[in-house]
Amino acid sequence: MNHPQFPILSRRQMLARMGGGFGLLGLSGALNKAGLLSASASEISVGTPHFAPKAKRVIFLMMNGGPSHVDTFDPKPALAKHEGETPTEQAKAKKKTSGFMPSPFEFKPRGQCGMMMSELFPQLSKLADDLCLVRSMHTDQPNHEPALLIMQSGNPQPVRPSIGSWASYGLGTENENLPSYVAISPGRPVVGPQLWSNAFLPGEHQATSIDTNNLKVDELIANLRHPKLSHDAQRRQIDLLGALNRLHSEERQRDAALETEIKSMELAYAMQAEASDAFDVSRETDAVRDRYGRTPFGQSCLLARRLAESGVRFTQVFYVDSKNKQPWDTHQDNDGGHRRLCANSDKASAALLSDLKERGLLEDTLVIWGGEFGRTPYSQIDKKKSKPGRDHHHTAFSMLLAGGGIKPGTTYGTTDEFGMHVAEDPVHVHDLHATILNQLGINHEKLTYRYSGRDFRLTDIHGEVVQGILS
Amino acid sequence: MLSPSTTTRTFTENLLRFILGSLLTLSGAVMAKEKTKADHWAFTLPQRHGAPAVRDTQWSSRPHDAFILKKIEKAGLAPNPPADPRNLLRRLSFDLNGLPPTPEEVTAFKKAFRENPDTSLKELTDGLLASPQFGARWARIWLDLARYAEDQAHIVGDNSKLFYPNAWLYRDWVIAAFNRDLPYDQFVKLQLAADLLEDNHDEDLVALGFIGLGPKYYRRNDPLVMADEWEDRVDTVSRGLLGLTVGCARCHDHKFDPISTEDYYGLAGVFASIEMFNRPLDGENAKKPADAMHIVRDRPKPTNLKVHLRGDPKDLGPEVPRRFLTILSKNENPPSFQKGSGRLELAEAIASPGNALTARVFVNRIWGELFGTPLVTTTSNFGTLGTPPSHPELLDDLAVRFMESGWSVKWLMRELVLSSTYRQSSDFSGTKLEQDPDNLLFSRANRRRLDVEMWRDAIYSASGTLDLKVGGPSFNASDPNANRRAVYARISRLKLNPMLALFDFPDPNLHSPGRYKSTTPLQKLFAVNNPLMVAQAEKFSARLHHDAPTENTRIQRAYQLLYARKASDEERNLALNFLNTGDKDAWQNYAQVLLASNEFLYLD
Repeated sequence: MNHPQFPILSRRQMLARMGGGFGLLGLSGALNKAGLLSASASEISVGTPHFAPKAKRVIFLMMNGGPSHVDTFDPKPALAKHEGETPTEQAKAKKKTSGFMPSPFEFKPRGQCGMMMSELFPQLSKLADDLCLVRSMHTDQPNHEPALLIMQSGNPQPVRPSIGSWASYGLGTENENLPSYVAISPGRPVVGPQLWSNAFLPGEHQATSIDTNNLKVDELIANLRHPKLSHDAQRRQIDLLGALNRLHSEERQRDAALETEIKSMELAYAMQAEASDAFDVSRETDAVRDRYGRTPFGQSCLLARRLAESGVRFTQVFYVDSKNKQPWDTHQDNDGGHRRLCANSDKASAALLSDLKERGLLEDTLVIWGGEFGRTPYSQIDKKKSKPGRDHHHTAFSMLLAGGGIKPGTTYGTTDEFGMHVAEDPVHVHDLHATILNQLGINHEKLTYRYSGRDFRLTDIHGEVVQGILS
Repeated sequence: MLSPSTTTRTFTENLLRFILGSLLTLSGAVMAKEKTKADHWAFTLPQRHGAPAVRDTQWSSRPHDAFILKKIEKAGLAPNPPADPRNLLRRLSFDLNGLPPTPEEVTAFKKAFRENPDTSLKELTDGLLASPQFGARWARIWLDLARYAEDQAHIVGDNSKLFYPNAWLYRDWVIAAFNRDLPYDQFVKLQLAADLLEDNHDEDLVALGFIGLGPKYYRRNDPLVMADEWEDRVDTVSRGLLGLTVGCARCHDHKFDPISTEDYYGLAGVFASIEMFNRPLDGENAKKPADAMHIVRDRPKPTNLKVHLRGDPKDLGPEVPRRFLTILSKNENPPSFQKGSGRLELAEAIASPGNALTARVFVNRIWGELFGTPLVTTTSNFGTLGTPPSHPELLDDLAVRFMESGWSVKWLMRELVLSSTYRQSSDFSGTKLEQDPDNLLFSRANRRRLDVEMWRDAIYSASGTLDLKVGGPSFNASDPNANRRAVYARISRLKLNPMLALFDFPDPNLHSPGRYKSTTPLQKLFAVNNPLMVAQAEKFSARLHHDAPTENTRIQRAYQLLYARKASDEERNLALNFLNTGDKDAWQNYAQVLLASNEFLYLD
């Protein structure tokens, strides 16, 4: 039994006391967890976002290093026509380039909707009618670290909460036996744990981060199992702990904080069982595991599906491996790199989408695919290496979205004839963030947290929901 | 149903209090926007206040007690009776040294307390204040607000040249400063300007790590990135030392406090005029950071900054001379700093009895640590959006007396822990709960959860393996063989130690105004499953077997070591029942239960 310290507030009273402003959503989630909302209030307020959500959860597939938009989702025939010409703005920069470099990959219209996609994504191409392709993404910085931080937290410096932490803060968890935010990363991406930091949000909104190079569930999540005790022996141990804690609490008028500790221990025990299941991809059939590909990224996507199914609010998969912190950073041999990376990513991402769809989960799961920026339409030449690469490019790139109330079969926004800049319907990362929160039922301007005398938002003072991609 | 209250709140409760507090003061704050300096309590100098008249003239033992009692009496309540000696000892040991008392100390103290409670408490306090472990406990409080860390959140390639391998020299300086009772005004001045003080000593230069260990962001020297770094310095100094959120004024005048963008750039100019510097340890050239201490120095040519309009470093407004905040200056037009970067003048303006905030902010932090709730709950925001003090006269009187004591931190701690307010028990009755559920009146002691450092140290202490050596290079807290106090753990901005991160250690990329107290299932999984816990339980069990010959005496020894009391019959029976299964690891598993228990984690 929980003993709240605060008078129980109804949602109406709460609104009245707060003047309806900021942080309400996070607050009602927090209040409910602390048992401070009356039953009737919690029914309507907890997990009750600002408006009806289209997505209950998010899976964000991050292609670390930045995939090339002109080789994947944004065909630019003009690059062939003008091959070798130096873009005007690069003439001054004296970069080692041999000018515009056409994509060697064939683009074709896919699906009923005719979405133009390159041959690098044969599996995703089959799902074109489920996808929404945004070609007009742009961000502020052409370097990995700040661009990753902007994509993750809306800010180029590592001092802001990540998007998953915001979602956790705003909506709480769907399954209290599992963490609300999980960062899956087979290896360590550039920047590292700051990418999924809660920063100044309360500690429970930090991501549970797992390294999927080793899929054994005991090693995947810290402290999930006792190193020695059998299940029964541990049950006895936890029962004794509970009995002693209850004696202690009863002598102290069942202090609310002590009761919360006791409840947390019970939850931990439940989590042990539930997480052991949810995080264990070996419980899938071989056929399913093969479908995703037996690669770290493939199995990570499969794990993401299991977690989404079990009620994890926000799951991110970082495309890295044990040797490379940003595999998509193809400064050399862009073509070869993309051939290899896309094959792996295509298989896993398509398997995830179709698996979600078959299970009826795609409807209320928002899936996002993309990198921190794109790559230059012109080449980058390193004389020591024979095969040209592409450099970082932040003024135009592409991302995919699917499910969670996003309009399927849509291509949104355009870039100029070379893919250098956004031409129509620009979508900044802040706009993407606003849209993700919107699909979760959150008004990005209202999800705020007061810290250091200021109300902070994921989108800072920016961000507009991209209405054109909503169904 | 109203509940038995407690003070070690879950984060949600803290959050709620915080948000409610902010919201309820918001409307007032908006109206206060146009008001001038005299209108906000925190911008006027604190004054001495005579002790208010109280009915119970016997209760107070220190001047601040009367202020507390006055409000308790006004609410028709009475203070709690004193806690029993066992709890007082446990509370004082953790509060002053961050460590549990030994069973021998418990026996000795109980005896002394029976003979003369006042004398025994004074002697205990003086002993704890004189222990070198005092600095090890209190340095950590400072390191949180100084966002102390030994590396950067960014690492490009494997380039670690921006890291601070000798950061621990600063940490040790802070520990020593608490131990030698360095006056707080000196403490502040040395950390901002040790190299510029007239009578400076080489051994104090490392104090400059306060700024010199700050975060360096990716792509330094880009104007925007440097502007971000200056904001970190302004933020740490202003929130940490002054309880003001000056960082808000980087892009526009502060919405609620009288702090203009000119004020911000006047301060930021000081930090733009200094550079991070690896000073060789041996007087020779430091080829790599490992050969150096990490401090700051003035650039040869100090520069004023131009206001960045809306925070945009490409859109520049008028130039602002380097200077102190208008609201805290005597003059409406504060004079420009004249000497070098202006660091020394800044330090003098902060560490001054003429500064309305410095002493109040510090005294309030220490109060919060010792009593569980600060007088001003927004410890780093004393501006109009902060919460007003629950006991304004007490805060002011204590701040002035603190300055009159010569800014002695040990004086302050002694004053607080020897008070009748501190001595109360943490029990509560129905009436008190109804009238003061959150203990805003301090009519009882707050039940408090140990910080992660205290808890970890206590575990090692119980198993008899804690190394109490003071100072030295940092250790890896994930190393299973490490047995030093947690304050010596390496602190990383890149990847914080998982145990610290799990138990509310703040993000060292930013100033922390105080710690959340979250209670989560993941913490409990640590307690029951982490190899550290299992290994320590094994050692604890071995110690019990070494110390006591029978099941019964071992159980009693365990209770003495962990809780400073005897086990009750019921507790003993539960234990015996658990142990009697013949499992060879039964003792170890039992020992772990005791280490994971709430009683071990909480102070009454």
